Amino acid sequence: MKFKSKYIVPVGADGIYEIDTGKWRTERPVMDKDKCIECGICAMYCPVFSIIKEDEKYIITYDYCKGCGICVHECPKDAIDMIPEEGK
Amino acid sequence: MKAIDLVSKTEELISPGISACVGCNVELSLRVVMRVLGPNTILAVPPGCMGGVGVVGWDMKSGAKVPVFFPLLDNPASMLAGIKLHYDRLGEDVNVVAFAGDGATVDAGFQCLSGAAERGDKIIYICYDNEGYMNTGYQRSGSTTKGAWTSTTPVNKEGIGGKMQNKKDFPMIMAMHDIPYMATANPAYVQDMVNKIEKAKQVDNGLAYIHIFNPCITGWGVKSEESIEVARLAVQSNFAPLYEVENGNFKLNMNPRNPKPVKEYLQKIKKFSHLTDEDIEELQADTDKKWNRLVNLASL
Amino acid sequence: MSRVDVLNGNQAAAIGASLARPGVIAAYPITPQTPIVEYLTQFKVDGKIDSAMSEVESELSAMSVLTGASLAGSRTFTATSSQGLALMYEPYFRASTLRLPIVMAIVNREMISPQTLWGGPQDSLTIRDAGWIQIYVEDNQEILDMMIQAYKIAEDKNVLLPINICYDGFYLSHMSERVEIPAQELVDKFLPEYEPEHIKLDPKKPMAVDPLTSGYLLMEYRYRHLAAQQEALKVIEEVDKEYADLIGRSHGGLVEEYRCEDADCVVVTMGSMSGAAKEAVDIKREEGYKIGLLRLRVVRPFPSKRISEVLKGKNCFGVVDRNVSFGWNTGILYQEVNSAMYRHGGDVPSVPFIGGLGGEDVKIEHFLHAIEKIYEGAADGVDCEQTIWLTNER
Repeated sequence: MKFKSKYIVPVGADGIYEIDTGKWRTERPVMDKDKCIECGICAMYCPVFSIIKEDEKYIITYDYCKGCGICVHECPKDAIDMIPEEGK
Repeated sequence: MKAIDLVSKTEELISPGISACVGCNVELSLRVVMRVLGPNTILAVPPGCMGGVGVVGWDMKSGAKVPVFFPLLDNPASMLAGIKLHYDRLGEDVNVVAFAGDGATVDAGFQCLSGAAERGDKIIYICYDNEGYMNTGYQRSGSTTKGAWTSTTPVNKEGIGGKMQNKKDFPMIMAMHDIPYMATANPAYVQDMVNKIEKAKQVDNGLAYIHIFNPCITGWGVKSEESIEVARLAVQSNFAPLYEVENGNFKLNMNPRNPKPVKEYLQKIKKFSHLTDEDIEELQADTDKKWNRLVNLASL
Repeated sequence: MSRVDVLNGNQAAAIGASLARPGVIAAYPITPQTPIVEYLTQFKVDGKIDSAMSEVESELSAMSVLTGASLAGSRTFTATSSQGLALMYEPYFRASTLRLPIVMAIVNREMISPQTLWGGPQDSLTIRDAGWIQIYVEDNQEILDMMIQAYKIAEDKNVLLPINICYDGFYLSHMSERVEIPAQELVDKFLPEYEPEHIKLDPKKPMAVDPLTSGYLLMEYRYRHLAAQQEALKVIEEVDKEYADLIGRSHGGLVEEYRCEDADCVVVTMGSMSGAAKEAVDIKREEGYKIGLLRLRVVRPFPSKRISEVLKGKNCFGVVDRNVSFGWNTGILYQEVNSAMYRHGGDVPSVPFIGGLGGEDVKIEHFLHAIEKIYEGAADGVDCEQTIWLTNER
């Protein structure tokens, strides 16, 4: 038999399995930095931890963001909006 | 640890791309749990939503940066107990943790969990309670709320059906094992959750149990953006109270001065849409009864 | 220093396991295995062993605790019987498919219903295809020796499989015999420490155990598992020799042949009843019958070639099964031995016998009768659909 696995048992040791969940999005959250008070609540509730903190400012990253809208809903300052993803 | 600092000051230990439903608050809970516990952790993820979405990995790849494995549905606590016995005997300190759904916890895995709790196995057991077998298509569990629609407690055109029995009060069952630490948690209260994971991590004389109440977007019929709001309403209405039991002492972590009616929580959820006013009153009465019991326990 | 003692089978198992220095032991009491758990907990409280012990709430947890401990890197031990083994089935199958070299004594007990407590290997034979190595022994010395050898076989880099040492409930578990106990230093020399390289749950070297796995990979893992079972055929014989060289006793490796060399017919047995069978062979030899005995020791992997070498060219053989194979109208071993014969081109008539179920005694008279029937089969042919039942009149 020709083996694909170098292991004799079912182990996962060849790196991290990832799904390109960013492709799921039909809408994307966009932050209005004029309204944002950098409270971090959006980041705290993001299930994917897609909102990161850089230079004391929160920014939304889109690699894995599934577009759930929790950040929009939880933002106390209405500083985030969902806008349609192009082509979806 | 401040909840607000999780994103900047902790390491992500779960694969960034797992196929949990859009807006899943279990995914949030798992990431929070693992960020607080850190890399010196062995993680058990039994069959269920989090196993299904790839946290244990696929083929020869892992879904986490820590050692992670599928226990059986009915043996997570026992497998962890064995791992902990090994590392304890060698004098090595490792967090040994289960992140298990309510099926693996309150139903099939209960015997092993109860045994481990009684023996004082030094493991951390976290249940994400989404009130049913959500990964296999929303079947009822012992943790499903009375009246709820599930795929095995269907509702007919006349609105008759739903689960006929009460939800098992599982946090209380675990508290009555007299384990050193038992707490409930909720994804809407991340700081509270962080505090509780930190406490569980410090326990060195037995089993620490955390029961997270996780409304399920897909299986319950909740709007994805309302994922956190619905979870919060469960606390604000005293439907799923936040409390902890340390060495037998009950403490309320949230004591709403003017609790919201349970109806406000229920009406956000499609699985309760067929309930009559009478049904809702019954759930309100049950909630009040359990809350009062809890208040009494906390005042002892 | 090695020493001699009078031990029952369960003591022999507990002492044998202790000599292997397991890191984690978890067991749940069940008749007739119970005394093993008591002995081991006593050894622990007396400071004779330094294993971590878990007095679990069920056999399901016993095997589950060991699965976890073995995945973390410990040498492990448990023991059970019948219903306990049945309750353990889910983690039992998984321990082998994760290639964990767990050692478990099975004190064979009949399966219910009817409600029963007494001996018989129906419990472990029923699950012979769950991937474990299964070795069945005849007496208490063999129990003790095989407990030690079990670790050496299971942990061999070419094997890495869990292993059962099986012995008849009450007949051996509660019977006392002279047993030689090898010195700890000798056992330590024979058995190096277990250090897993193929699978380990360790934060210093993270890996996933059992990710969701595609069918083509599952086939690879099964292929390797089957190959490891075949490797075990060699390893069992090598370990038997090594043990004999160092400690001074051999138990025959894959099978035990008794007066087979010049035999024209053979009776095939397994387990404790083999003692009575050997006496019957001696009696019949005195009467002029050239009868021999083949005692099966290893059921998984099944030493089909070795068995066929012994039985090929004989006029007839019979298999005495202390178990049943529902749907075959015979015992399990009868089917296994016949498969081995046909695979290796040995077309020898064979007679199926069933006896000793539910702990019933299989006496010398039964074997004398069975040997007569085997010779009748050699002379007149056999209707192998008709199993001969060896019963006791009441």
